[in-house]
Amino acid sequence: MNTSALNKIPLITLVGQPNSGKTTLFNYLSGKNYKTVNYPGSTVEYSISKILSKFSVNANILDSPGIISLIPSSPDEKLSVDTLFSHPKFGTPDIVAVTVDASQLSRHLFLVKQLIEANFKVIVVLTMPDILHKKGLEISDNKLGNILNCKVVRINGLTGKGIDDLLKAIDEAVNELNSENISSLINKPENSHKHHLLDLYSSIEKIESEVIFKKENINSNGKIDLQKINENLVILNSPRFPNKPDEFTLRLDRFVLHKYSGLLIFFLVMSITFTSIFWLASPVMDLVNEFFSFLSDNAVSILGDGWFGDLVSNGIISGLGSVLVFLPQILILFLILGLLEDSGYLARGAMLIDKPLSKIGLNGKSFVPLLSGFACAIPAIMATRTIANKRERFLTIFLIPLMSCSARLPVYALLIAFLIPSDKPWLGGLILTAIYIFSITSSVIIAAIINKFQNKLIQEKDNSSFILELPAYRKPKLTTVLNNTIKSAKQYVKKAGPVILYLSLILWVLTYFPNYDPVNIDESGKTAEEITQLKDAERISSSYASYLGKFIEPVMSPIGLDWRVGVSLVATFAAREVFVSSLALIFKITDDEDDLQNSILNAMREAKIEGTDKKLFTIATTTGLIIFFVFALQCLSTVAIAKKETGGWRIPILQLVIFTFAAYALSFITVNGLRALGIN
Amino acid sequence: MRTAVDLKLGEKAIIKDVDNSHYSSHRVLEIGFTPGQEIELVSKSVFNDPIALSIRGTIIAIRRNEASCIMI
Repeated sequence: MNTSALNKIPLITLVGQPNSGKTTLFNYLSGKNYKTVNYPGSTVEYSISKILSKFSVNANILDSPGIISLIPSSPDEKLSVDTLFSHPKFGTPDIVAVTVDASQLSRHLFLVKQLIEANFKVIVVLTMPDILHKKGLEISDNKLGNILNCKVVRINGLTGKGIDDLLKAIDEAVNELNSENISSLINKPENSHKHHLLDLYSSIEKIESEVIFKKENINSNGKIDLQKINENLVILNSPRFPNKPDEFTLRLDRFVLHKYSGLLIFFLVMSITFTSIFWLASPVMDLVNEFFSFLSDNAVSILGDGWFGDLVSNGIISGLGSVLVFLPQILILFLILGLLEDSGYLARGAMLIDKPLSKIGLNGKSFVPLLSGFACAIPAIMATRTIANKRERFLTIFLIPLMSCSARLPVYALLIAFLIPSDKPWLGGLILTAIYIFSITSSVIIAAIINKFQNKLIQEKDNSSFILELPAYRKPKLTTVLNNTIKSAKQYVKKAGPVILYLSLILWVLTYFPNYDPVNIDESGKTAEEITQLKDAERISSSYASYLGKFIEPVMSPIGLDWRVGVSLVATFAAREVFVSSLALIFKITDDEDDLQNSILNAMREAKIEGTDKKLFTIATTTGLIIFFVFALQCLSTVAIAKKETGGWRIPILQLVIFTFAAYALSFITVNGLRALGIN
Repeated sequence: MRTAVDLKLGEKAIIKDVDNSHYSSHRVLEIGFTPGQEIELVSKSVFNDPIALSIRGTIIAIRRNEASCIMI
């Protein structure tokens, strides 16, 4: 975006406390024409947009992360506040629009007062008037505006009523702007003392008592009955007239946070979430897969089966496919998380799980990221930004790769199918569940170990904090949730996409060259298709990848595997699910009558360790492989995201080394332990 | 002195002071737990920690450790 062009039109920054309806307002004003921009060198994200052209106001509008106060309590908040005062790219906002939940006026006026004290030109946007009405209260916008000496408008987030008033206010404010350099007037609050905070609140309480009154004070013509107000004027929070939380919410919380029913609801919500991620997404994922193999087949038939055709079909198209195949799961995950968040449950879930998580050095706020990790580590790591404490945040990022992400499912499916007798398919589900429980238990243990270890390394005071508003329950606003879902999915494609694509291309080169056109193939009595497949197999067994595989064979043999599985494991660093297709390539699967999985299974049953007649895949080695997949960090996109989000290589390298080592060591113990027990 | 941690479920109290020496005291004040305000222990988490306090028309979940700086 052009900076000089931006400087000419006024910049309006949207500010607000969490749950104040800020995002809804941004969506109303920007439609879908926003851009997401990062604060340079950090992960704090902003959406910027021109105000919709159908509203005739010429201004840029910048969304910012929710803040409680202008005096930051965490590094992330500090960045948000610094950016509000002077965004490195967009400068100081000409106007600040603050969303204020009318039903908790005093808490939200706190930020407004701070902004006014800092000399910003402030427009107060009152949200959630319906909730205030439900409490039997009403607010006088005019009076509030007069006292604060700024514009006050009222918006109903559900209906969008009031947007026109806001635009009128913005328009007026824009016209009042003079050429003066605003940034010279703005002063940042110093770290204020307790008495200053208390003074601020007592002035706010005075304002509140003047502008809020009981609803019955409005007479039949809709006019405010001043005499009645004076009769009924009472200070809020006096025993006679308390500002109580939403009654329905309080009643529902008795079940949702209850000792037994709370746990039950928690597990129910979790199961539904998981089930939907896996089962709702799988038919869509199959469609994506089919679409890309259709494209890939067509590319070959159009471009021929030379190296170029192969590059396009197996390199580029398959690479794109492996990026997009996870999109359905990510969309569903974010949709569910969005619905849970908007309805108010997510904050309760975080509260319920805070205690157990704090025991292993995590935070209740680690809950959502860890949960997302079961779909894909990439959005999960991005979701850790809400954790204020840096240590807890890094530990959460560290653990996310241990959550069994969806890319491991096809691998588990194949290996489990190998392990179980075909007449007992129910055993497969049992083993899969066991794998999940095993991976969760292991991550708890690893977290506990690292937490202990870290305590010894960093002798810093543990200022771990969990203070979270439990918002009133409400019906989720679908458009806002969908908007955010699409935003997150876009981020995933933008961030993980290029990495996965490049790696797929590198992998393609490694498996395709140097012997890209194998000649010494016995073609007699074979169909054209079989010849192509034999060529593929010959090509890969003399490829750079196979040199690499043979090079690491000494490492593979202690866990009972040979170079061919080694190559597949190397390939999985691009994307785990590649394991299945690369096994198919390497084991020269030519049989087309069966489906792919059965052909691979047969090949696996026949396979011998090269040069011997010992079976390659046994119960011991296959179990070892499963254990390997539980721990190993075979996903370079995760490494890339972890580097980006932690701002350095330390965490991703530690993850890579520790998890790969753990995977190898535990796999070694499993294979040799099973063998010692006589299970081969 | 009693603190918010000592409240029983459903019990109300008026905040007397906020302990300045606690590392979370600043955030606790900013969020609205100021002397003179009425709080109520509205619910507890499954493991009794964090607790949920009503303050200024909303509910705040807060760890017991941090709530201990709210004197009642």
